[in-house]
Amino acid sequence: MPLPSVTPVPVPDRRSSSASPLTLCAAAWFVPGAGHLLQGRTEKAVVFFVVLVGMFTVGLAFGGRLFPFRLAEPLVFLAAAAEWVLGLPRLVAALGGFGAGDVIRVTYEYGNTFLIAAGLLNALVVLDVYDLAIGRRR
Amino acid sequence: MAVHLSAMALFAAAVAVVFGVLVHDAPRDQVRLAVRIFGGLVVGAYLVGWLMIGLYG
Repeated sequence: MPLPSVTPVPVPDRRSSSASPLTLCAAAWFVPGAGHLLQGRTEKAVVFFVVLVGMFTVGLAFGGRLFPFRLAEPLVFLAAAAEWVLGLPRLVAALGGFGAGDVIRVTYEYGNTFLIAAGLLNALVVLDVYDLAIGRRR
Repeated sequence: MAVHLSAMALFAAAVAVVFGVLVHDAPRDQVRLAVRIFGGLVVGAYLVGWLMIGLYG
Protein backbone atom coordinates (compact mmCIF):
# COMPACT_ATOMS: atom_id res chain seq x y z
CA MET A 1 0.00 0.00 0.00
CA PRO A 2 1.58 3.29 -1.06
CA LEU A 3 2.21 5.85 1.62
CA PRO A 4 0.34 9.13 1.28
CA SER A 5 2.47 11.93 -0.05
CA VAL A 6 3.39 14.54 2.51
CA THR A 7 4.14 18.11 1.59
CA PRO A 8 7.25 19.23 3.46
CA VAL A 9 6.61 22.13 5.77
CA PRO A 10 9.48 24.57 6.38
CA VAL A 11 10.62 24.25 9.95
CA PRO A 12 12.61 27.07 11.53
CA ASP A 13 16.08 26.02 12.67
CA ARG A 14 16.28 25.21 16.36
CA ARG A 15 19.06 27.77 16.65
CA SER A 16 16.81 30.46 15.20
CA SER A 17 16.40 33.65 17.15
CA SER A 18 13.04 34.75 18.51
CA ALA A 19 13.48 37.98 16.56
CA SER A 20 11.43 38.43 13.40
CA PRO A 21 13.00 37.74 10.00
CA LEU A 22 12.81 41.45 9.18
CA THR A 23 14.69 42.37 12.35
CA LEU A 24 17.34 39.76 11.65
CA CYS A 25 17.77 41.01 8.09
CA ALA A 26 18.05 44.59 9.31
CA ALA A 27 20.74 43.54 11.78
CA ALA A 28 22.58 41.61 9.07
CA TRP A 29 22.41 44.61 6.77
CA PHE A 30 23.65 47.08 9.39
CA VAL A 31 26.47 44.96 10.81
CA PRO A 32 27.82 42.14 8.62
CA GLY A 33 27.40 38.85 10.47
CA ALA A 34 25.00 40.21 13.09
CA GLY A 35 22.08 38.26 11.63
CA HIS A 36 23.92 34.97 11.92
CA LEU A 37 25.11 35.91 15.40
CA LEU A 38 21.52 36.46 16.54
CA GLN A 39 20.65 33.05 15.09
CA GLY A 40 23.37 31.37 17.13
CA ARG A 41 25.77 30.78 14.25
CA THR A 42 28.73 32.47 15.85
CA GLU A 43 31.48 31.03 13.65
CA LYS A 44 29.78 32.13 10.45
CA ALA A 45 29.07 35.53 11.95
CA VAL A 46 32.72 36.08 12.83
CA VAL A 47 33.88 35.04 9.35
CA PHE A 48 31.37 37.33 7.61
CA PHE A 49 32.24 40.27 9.85
CA VAL A 50 36.00 39.89 9.48
CA VAL A 51 36.01 39.23 5.73
CA LEU A 52 33.40 41.79 4.66
CA VAL A 53 34.60 44.61 6.89
CA GLY A 54 38.14 43.68 5.84
CA MET A 55 37.20 43.92 2.17
CA PHE A 56 35.58 47.28 2.76
CA THR A 57 38.65 48.56 4.61
CA VAL A 58 40.99 47.31 1.90
CA GLY A 59 38.80 49.03 -0.68
CA LEU A 60 39.17 52.33 1.12
CA ALA A 61 42.91 51.79 1.61
CA PHE A 62 43.24 51.15 -2.13
CA GLY A 63 41.77 54.59 -2.82
CA GLY A 64 38.29 53.41 -3.76
CA ARG A 65 35.41 55.84 -3.86
CA LEU A 66 32.22 55.96 -1.83
CA PHE A 67 29.78 56.74 -4.60
CA PRO A 68 26.85 59.12 -4.13
CA PHE A 69 23.29 58.32 -5.20
CA ARG A 70 23.19 60.08 -8.55
CA LEU A 71 20.28 59.14 -10.77
CA ALA A 72 21.79 60.87 -13.79
CA GLU A 73 24.56 58.24 -13.81
CA PRO A 74 22.97 54.79 -13.48
CA LEU A 75 26.23 52.91 -12.87
CA VAL A 76 27.22 55.35 -10.12
CA PHE A 77 23.76 54.92 -8.60
CA LEU A 78 24.09 51.13 -8.64
CA ALA A 79 27.57 51.29 -7.14
CA ALA A 80 26.26 53.51 -4.36
CA ALA A 81 23.39 51.11 -3.70
CA ALA A 82 25.82 48.18 -3.51
CA GLU A 83 28.10 50.00 -1.09
CA TRP A 84 25.19 50.94 1.17
CA VAL A 85 24.28 47.26 1.65
CA LEU A 86 27.17 47.30 4.10
CA GLY A 87 25.32 49.58 6.53
CA LEU A 88 27.52 50.53 9.46
CA PRO A 89 30.93 50.40 7.76
CA ARG A 90 29.60 52.59 4.94
CA LEU A 91 28.12 55.04 7.44
CA VAL A 92 31.29 55.22 9.52
CA ALA A 93 33.44 55.69 6.42
CA ALA A 94 31.23 58.51 5.20
CA LEU A 95 31.18 60.24 8.58
CA GLY A 96 34.94 59.79 8.91
CA GLY A 97 35.58 61.51 5.60
CA PHE A 98 37.00 58.45 3.88
CA GLY A 99 36.33 57.27 0.35
CA ALA A 100 36.96 60.43 -1.64
CA GLY A 101 38.43 58.25 -4.37
CA ASP A 102 41.99 58.64 -5.63
CA VAL A 103 41.57 58.23 -9.39
CA ILE A 104 45.26 58.49 -10.25
CA ARG A 105 46.27 55.60 -7.99
CA VAL A 106 46.93 52.29 -9.71
CA THR A 107 44.66 50.55 -7.20
CA TYR A 108 41.67 52.91 -7.62
CA GLU A 109 39.57 50.47 -9.63
CA TYR A 110 40.57 47.61 -7.35
CA GLY A 111 39.39 49.71 -4.43
CA ASN A 112 36.01 50.28 -6.06
CA THR A 113 35.75 46.57 -6.81
CA PHE A 114 36.43 45.65 -3.19
CA LEU A 115 33.91 48.22 -1.89
CA ILE A 116 31.14 47.18 -4.27
CA ALA A 117 31.76 43.43 -3.97
CA ALA A 118 31.75 43.64 -0.18
CA GLY A 119 28.28 45.18 -0.29
CA LEU A 120 26.97 42.64 -2.79
CA LEU A 121 28.34 39.75 -0.76
CA ASN A 122 26.60 41.15 2.31
CA ALA A 123 23.37 41.15 0.29
CA LEU A 124 23.80 37.39 -0.11
CA VAL A 125 24.47 37.10 3.61
CA VAL A 126 21.24 38.99 4.36
CA LEU A 127 19.30 36.67 2.06
CA ASP A 128 20.83 33.68 3.82
CA VAL A 129 19.70 35.08 7.18
CA TYR A 130 16.18 35.44 5.79
CA ASP A 131 16.13 31.88 4.45
CA LEU A 132 17.35 30.55 7.79
CA ALA A 133 14.79 32.64 9.70
CA ILE A 134 11.79 31.35 7.77
CA GLY A 135 13.09 27.77 7.72
CA ARG A 136 13.71 27.57 3.99
CA ARG A 137 17.31 26.60 4.72
CA ARG A 138 18.70 24.74 7.71
CA MET B 1 52.42 43.69 -11.72
CA ALA B 2 52.81 42.63 -8.09
CA VAL B 3 50.04 45.01 -7.05
CA HIS B 4 47.65 43.62 -9.64
CA LEU B 5 48.44 40.01 -8.77
CA SER B 6 48.21 40.44 -5.01
CA ALA B 7 45.01 42.50 -5.27
CA MET B 8 43.45 39.84 -7.48
CA ALA B 9 44.52 37.03 -5.15
CA LEU B 10 43.23 38.91 -2.10
CA PHE B 11 39.88 39.56 -3.78
CA ALA B 12 39.58 35.94 -4.89
CA ALA B 13 40.39 34.71 -1.40
CA ALA B 14 37.79 36.96 0.24
CA VAL B 15 35.06 35.98 -2.20
CA ALA B 16 35.95 32.30 -1.88
CA VAL B 17 35.79 32.36 1.91
CA VAL B 18 32.41 34.11 1.98
CA PHE B 19 30.86 31.71 -0.53
CA GLY B 20 32.35 28.67 1.16
CA VAL B 21 30.99 29.63 4.57
CA LEU B 22 27.68 30.79 3.12
CA VAL B 23 26.87 27.65 1.17
CA HIS B 24 28.07 24.89 3.50
CA ASP B 25 27.92 24.22 7.23
CA ALA B 26 30.61 21.57 7.59
CA PRO B 27 34.13 23.06 7.78
CA ARG B 28 35.54 20.43 5.42
CA ASP B 29 32.95 21.28 2.75
CA GLN B 30 33.48 24.99 3.32
CA VAL B 31 37.23 24.70 2.77
CA ARG B 32 36.77 22.50 -0.28
CA LEU B 33 34.38 24.94 -1.95
CA ALA B 34 36.51 27.95 -1.03
CA VAL B 35 39.61 26.36 -2.55
CA ARG B 36 37.71 25.54 -5.74
CA ILE B 37 36.33 29.05 -6.06
CA PHE B 38 39.70 30.63 -5.34
CA GLY B 39 41.40 28.45 -7.92
CA GLY B 40 38.68 29.10 -10.47
CA LEU B 41 38.89 32.86 -10.05
CA VAL B 42 42.70 33.01 -10.23
CA VAL B 43 43.04 30.59 -13.14
CA GLY B 44 40.13 32.25 -14.93
CA ALA B 45 41.73 35.67 -14.53
CA TYR B 46 45.00 34.34 -15.96
CA LEU B 47 43.25 32.77 -18.93
CA VAL B 48 41.25 35.91 -19.67
CA GLY B 49 44.42 37.98 -19.26
CA TRP B 50 46.33 35.88 -21.79
CA LEU B 51 43.32 35.94 -24.11
CA MET B 52 43.25 39.73 -23.95
CA ILE B 53 46.98 39.87 -24.70
CA GLY B 54 46.39 37.62 -27.70
CA LEU B 55 43.51 39.73 -28.95
CA TYR B 56 44.68 43.25 -28.19
CA GLY B 57 48.36 43.02 -27.15
